[in-house]
Amino acid sequence: MTTEQDTASTTDTDAVADTEPEATEATEATEAVSAGAESAETEADGTDADAAVVAGDGSDQPSRRERLENEGDVAADFLEELLDIADLDGDIDMDVDGNRASVSIVGGDLDELVGPQGEVLEALQELTRLAVFRETGERSRLMLDVAGFRAQRRAELVDVATQAIAEVQASGETLKLSPMSPFERKVVHDAVADAGLRSESEGVEPRRCVVVLPAEPA
Amino acid sequence: MVADVIEHLVSGIVDNPDDVEVQEKNLRRGLLYEVRVHPSDLGKVIGRSGRTATAIRTVAGVLAGDGGARIDFVDVDRRR
Repeated sequence: MTTEQDTASTTDTDAVADTEPEATEATEATEAVSAGAESAETEADGTDADAAVVAGDGSDQPSRRERLENEGDVAADFLEELLDIADLDGDIDMDVDGNRASVSIVGGDLDELVGPQGEVLEALQELTRLAVFRETGERSRLMLDVAGFRAQRRAELVDVATQAIAEVQASGETLKLSPMSPFERKVVHDAVADAGLRSESEGVEPRRCVVVLPAEPA
Repeated sequence: MVADVIEHLVSGIVDNPDDVEVQEKNLRRGLLYEVRVHPSDLGKVIGRSGRTATAIRTVAGVLAGDGGARIDFVDVDRRR
C-alpha cells in the first residue's frame, strides 16, 4: 500500500536507507549506529510505521510482527532469569506496540528495578536490547517497562505537553520544557504533533529539552 | 547473588559467554567484582562512552544494596 517514495521523504536516515524493499532493518541499524539511540528514538519514530507495512508485505521473510514477537521472547528469557537469580518476584508481559516490541515486568516489589527517575529501568532496557541484539543480530528498539513506571510517566507527560501546547497557542511564542530522557521527549513530541504543532529537541544529554513551536502563520 | 547477576547480564551480551568469569573480592574498601571476559568482548561490555559498563553497574549496584557494587572489567588474559 505504501510506496518507497512515501517513506523515503520522511527523514534523512530513511531517505538514505530506503532504497531497497527490505531496507527496514538497514534503516534501524543506520539509525542506531549513526544517529545514536537518543535521536533515533525521537526523530525517526513517527516514520517507521509506514516502513513496517512495506516489510510486512515482504516475501518469505518472517513478518515484521513475528520478528518483534521473537525480540520479546528473547528479552523475556533474559529478564526472567535475572529475576530468578536476583530472587525477585515478577511476571513478564509481552506485546507488540506499533513498530517495536514491548516488554513489561509486573507484580511484586519492583521499585528497585525502576530506581530514581527510572534510571535502573533505563539501564536494564539498554542491557536487554543488547541481549536481544546478540541473539537476533538486529538492533532492537524494544521498550521495557517495570511496575507500570513508563505508563504512569507517559500520562504525566501528556499533561505537561497539553499545558505547554495551550500556552504556546495562547502566546504564539516557543516554549522550552525541562530536560527529559529520550523516552520522555518522544511522548511529548507525539502529543505536540497530535495537537498540530511542531516541536524540536535542543541541548545535549542529559539536559536535552523539547521546544514547542507555535503554529506557522497560514 | 550479585556476582551471579553480573555474570548473567554480561553473559547475555557478549559473543563468548563461556569465557565470562566474575570474582568477588573482599577489599578493605568494600566488595569488588572483577569481571573477566574474552579480549574481543571487552569493548562490548564497556560500550560506547562506557554506556554498557555504566548500565551493568547501575543494575548490579541496586541489587547489591547499600553502597552499591564496584565492578572492574578486565579481559581474560590480564592477571593481577
